[in-house]
Amino acid sequence: MSDRARRGARAAFRGWRARRPFWGGLLLTLAGGEILLTEKASLKVVMHIGMQGLAGYLLPTVMALLGLLILFNPTQRLFYSLTGVLVSLGTWLTSNLGGFFLGLLLGVTGCCLAFGWLPDQEPRVSRRTRRKEERARAAAVPEGAEGTAA
Amino acid sequence: MASSPDVPSVGNTPENPGNGSPSEVPQAAATAAGGERRGRVRARRAAVMAVPATLVAAGLAVLTAQGALGVQFAVSGMPFTVTATELNGTGFEQFGGLDNMAEGSPNAGDSGGQVLVVTSAIKNATLDHLCQSVDLGGTNLLITAGSGATKVTASGLTTDSTELSGDAAFNNIEIGNDASTLTKAGVKGPIGVFSQQADTVHIGNLRQTNYATTAGVFKLPGLKLRFSDSGC
Repeated sequence: MSDRARRGARAAFRGWRARRPFWGGLLLTLAGGEILLTEKASLKVVMHIGMQGLAGYLLPTVMALLGLLILFNPTQRLFYSLTGVLVSLGTWLTSNLGGFFLGLLLGVTGCCLAFGWLPDQEPRVSRRTRRKEERARAAAVPEGAEGTAA
Repeated sequence: MASSPDVPSVGNTPENPGNGSPSEVPQAAATAAGGERRGRVRARRAAVMAVPATLVAAGLAVLTAQGALGVQFAVSGMPFTVTATELNGTGFEQFGGLDNMAEGSPNAGDSGGQVLVVTSAIKNATLDHLCQSVDLGGTNLLITAGSGATKVTASGLTTDSTELSGDAAFNNIEIGNDASTLTKAGVKGPIGVFSQQADTVHIGNLRQTNYATTAGVFKLPGLKLRFSDSGC
């Protein structure tokens, strides 16, 4: 009973994941979180530095938000990922070299994945199966099976 | 622009599922993958964004390494070491203080989340052979800069350190001010705390253990960022 419920939840999650750029959004959210973690400067100091210091917090927060938006509103993924990649690159200047480079890397990767994602694709064909099929077709053709091939 | 890159890879991007896709290939694949249609990342489409983004990131890194572009730092909550062979600054202040870590920080240990620190503020500083390392448990993240002819410059540099050593020389130093009356670097400490300030400062063989550092703008010529077994 519980086993079936779990399988149902997993299938539901699988289906939910299939309908959105899951890894892209997740990576971007994580990147924003990572950069915020490396900062953690006391708020007093941030107030002292002023607007520039604030930007150091604003950009990673925006990154995390965009990541969540990609996950929960995937139809707008182009806008989110374009803004996300610009903001991710901006953190290099404002937030500890983009969270010591790690956050920047995750963010840009996430945005590229979200940008390149398309819904409703054919299932993936591994290169090996594709090659095998090609060989099978090449073998079949000389036997005079052209008529039935298509 | 957004729709163009997926056009050339027609091979397996039929827009509507029922338009007679080549028979053998999808059938075999469908049995393998359970036969459902899922969203998926198209490599060529992702590359449209990945290539320019990589170029821009590389450009930023190069500009920073040349010292043409300033970057901001705000670090705290974990101890890290900063060393420099030479520090020259104008507008120097120093006073005691208490740093609070974030609630439930794993770095707190038995300190109750508070660290006694010396806050140093320097309005404009140039540092020679800057080296900064953070212990990440086992490995160290090492940032070095300013080893070449051009030095690292920082403005609005504020550090909270637990340890500070070096050969220091001050010019026009005032010792024993109240921390709330400081004027030289634009930072004010808590009232009733001992402090000192000076017009210029020179520290040779600087070594600091910091808990927090912020700089309005850091220029890091010759920037190198790498992981290493040993710290600075």
